[in-house]
Amino acid sequence: MRTVPLRYRAAALLAVAVGLLWVAPALSQETVVVRAKLIQGEVPTDPAAPIWNTIAATEFPMSPQVHWQKRIGSVTAKSVKVRGVHNNKQIAFMVEYADPTQDPADAAALEFMVGDKKAHFAHGQPMGQVEGGPVNIWYWRNDTPAAADMSAQGFGTLKKQAQQDVQAKAVWKDEKTKVTFKERKLSLRKDPKGEVVKDPQTGNPIVDEDTKVAEQEVSGVWRVVFTRALTTTDKEDVQIQPGTFPNVAFAVWDGKKLESGDLKEAGSQKAVSSWWYINAEPPPDYSIYLYGLIAVVLAAGVEFVIIRKVKKGQPA
Amino acid sequence: MRGPSLAVKGGILLAAVFVALKFVLPLLTAPLPMSLIYLYLFLTIIGIVVYGTLSGESTEALLGPIFRFLSGEGIGGAVKSARLAVLVLFPLLVGWQTYGGLAPNTQPPAESRTIHPAPPGEFVGLSNPLPNTPENVMMGTGLYAAYCLPCHGPKFNGNGAASDGFNPPPANFADPGTIAMLQESYLFWRIKKGGVGLSVEGHPWKSAMPRWEVELSDDQIWKIIMAEYAGAGQKPRTWE
Repeated sequence: MRTVPLRYRAAALLAVAVGLLWVAPALSQETVVVRAKLIQGEVPTDPAAPIWNTIAATEFPMSPQVHWQKRIGSVTAKSVKVRGVHNNKQIAFMVEYADPTQDPADAAALEFMVGDKKAHFAHGQPMGQVEGGPVNIWYWRNDTPAAADMSAQGFGTLKKQAQQDVQAKAVWKDEKTKVTFKERKLSLRKDPKGEVVKDPQTGNPIVDEDTKVAEQEVSGVWRVVFTRALTTTDKEDVQIQPGTFPNVAFAVWDGKKLESGDLKEAGSQKAVSSWWYINAEPPPDYSIYLYGLIAVVLAAGVEFVIIRKVKKGQPA
Repeated sequence: MRGPSLAVKGGILLAAVFVALKFVLPLLTAPLPMSLIYLYLFLTIIGIVVYGTLSGESTEALLGPIFRFLSGEGIGGAVKSARLAVLVLFPLLVGWQTYGGLAPNTQPPAESRTIHPAPPGEFVGLSNPLPNTPENVMMGTGLYAAYCLPCHGPKFNGNGAASDGFNPPPANFADPGTIAMLQESYLFWRIKKGGVGLSVEGHPWKSAMPRWEVELSDDQIWKIIMAEYAGAGQKPRTWE
């Protein structure tokens, strides 16, 4: 039986290690960035367009809005899956999330920082020591035909812009989807005899916490597609340049009507995320390969000249 | 017996400085940016060149091996192979660096957030005006349950049910690297002014911590602080 020489095995191992180092950041980054893939032709405005099935989604966990009044304890949307495409003129984002019921007041929104100044994710509210900037909000609501292009810089300043640049189309389907979330269980610690164990210092019962990632099958999915030009003439809008990393945050409202007549989620009572990133894939630039090649030739030329010079002046 | 030449010693020193700055220093403190590491390596090279060119003899000791290596005269065996590898790899490395510098960045900007930025002067050195009695701790625990528990959790570990979507996550008070290394006055500032009260290096635009001064009195905040230390089994840092 032929054996592979040690040096080839070592080279193969090295290649695998380098490959892993290369791939690892690419795998990990997809939890923080929505990659809007560059496509040819029109961007899809329909959530049912087949192209969405070819685009990788990035999933972002959602939290109940607890930052300011009026808060909410738990929300329907535990996460959102977001996909993006653009054609160098228009950009489209599809936000997908589980919601068991289709209600008129169901709504979703994307939020972006506008300009160079950092804005707080809660409607760009003022910060104590940092001069913040405004935010641009793309808002869709099920019972409203058109999307809203909005601006805010602090609580109570949310307004619809004079120039409306955003379109949205949504489809709710009664299909099954899997939702992953953190399941937390608290239990009193007990000894083998079944007696509650108490903290020897405080005398209080010791509580154990068990947290695990659980998966639940839910019927009902919203898919909302927002579209807009990458750049607009409106100074209140986010301007999306391919290759850059603008910040984005998400919000979702379950507009289900409760027995009390109130909506389950409305206004500030909603599911929210912190700031993440979008990245519109830049068009391919083949000139960088040419410049790399020129650099190789120049470096080899310099090397040649130096060696020649050294050989001529080599001390005996 | 002759030891390694000055050129080899210089190469070893350069490699040692790189390893120390890149891999050893991060074990002790924050990692240095590569631009700073390159600057230190450049300064090291300058030092080696200055030392190596102090006299004609040292110049030959420093540059002789380099020149012989480059010219290929008088070398053989493994050194000859190494020379060939260097001559081939150098232009490829330059080409790769050029490509890397021009290729579009696929990673989001690095975020070096300071976890515990310095508080404003008015919050430095404040003492808890309330006595640490079981009653006050109990009242603070009740307030914690009402206002803080959804994010910071029943176990004071930042694992509340409302924490999943927030980045950065709520602080884990049970971790010895959080409230145990802070004074009560620091917590008072963070609770009272919330995330938006942070300085720029604390990335206030990402923090979901509410500005509790809008809803809670100072006394209530001090009681919550007592409850957090008691619940997390920690003690506030003191100067004594």
